[in-house]
Amino acid sequence: MAYSDKVIEHYENPKNVGTLDKEDPNVGTGLVGAPACGDVMRLQLKISDEGVIQDAKFKTFGCGSAIASSSLVTEWVKGKTVDEAATITNKEIAKELSLPPVKIHCSVLAEDAIKAAIEDFKKKKAARGK
Amino acid sequence: MTVNHFEIFGLTPSVDVDVPALEAKYRELSLEHHPDRVGADQRLEAVQKTTSLNEAVKVLRDPARRAFYLLQLEGIDLEKQQMPMEFLESILEQREQLEIAKRQKNLPKVRALGAEVGHTSDQALAEGLKALRAGEVPAATSALARVRYYTRFLDEVEAIEESAA
Repeated sequence: MAYSDKVIEHYENPKNVGTLDKEDPNVGTGLVGAPACGDVMRLQLKISDEGVIQDAKFKTFGCGSAIASSSLVTEWVKGKTVDEAATITNKEIAKELSLPPVKIHCSVLAEDAIKAAIEDFKKKKAARGK
Repeated sequence: MTVNHFEIFGLTPSVDVDVPALEAKYRELSLEHHPDRVGADQRLEAVQKTTSLNEAVKVLRDPARRAFYLLQLEGIDLEKQQMPMEFLESILEQREQLEIAKRQKNLPKVRALGAEVGHTSDQALAEGLKALRAGEVPAATSALARVRYYTRFLDEVEAIEESAA
């Protein structure tokens, strides 16, 4: 199966690979997996007290489409508010990367990772009593 | 086509299959339905039957694939299985270690990680098969979902070993 140019671009030159300090109260970490293929994806967002995403990093062990999906969303979410980022759907990701139907689950994984990271951040914030 | 992989061999779905008997039956049925042995009007049907037989034997002769197939027959979609956070963390950590070993071209370390995960995977598979035999579908699903992640890890180990060879 041929990958689209955009998938190859992100796969060969992924943006924002790395780690943020998960103990940082302003960092939300989303860790998700796809049992059907055994892929695992970690997405971390650094969010200001005003709720704006200042930085995003990911680490994905999976196929080219999974890596491209996570690389793309780290680019997309930067500068967005948490609420805006939460509206990103797998359909938009799949469309941007021209993912074939068998690779749609990779974009679902990226959407789930954003949501999980935001939820983690909100949980931390609530725990701080802010 | 509504017959499942077991039915095509006259078997009822089961965790344990007599593999030599299965393979004998497979050879017998493959000969019987061989596309070269039927008239032109029946050829398409024979090709389809042969394809089904090939697919079925591939799944049933392997205990892990057979177990995944049994879950599928139970209507379980592994993709929807939520994994515990600690499990995902440990997998990510192991994948990171493997990546470092790969980058350092540390083949003994790659093999050691492969052996460790291979052992854990065998245990999870045994646990999954045991649960399936007992009809405990949720326990089987959870154990077999773990096997998927380990299998993916072991595929990666194999790929590194091959590229180093």
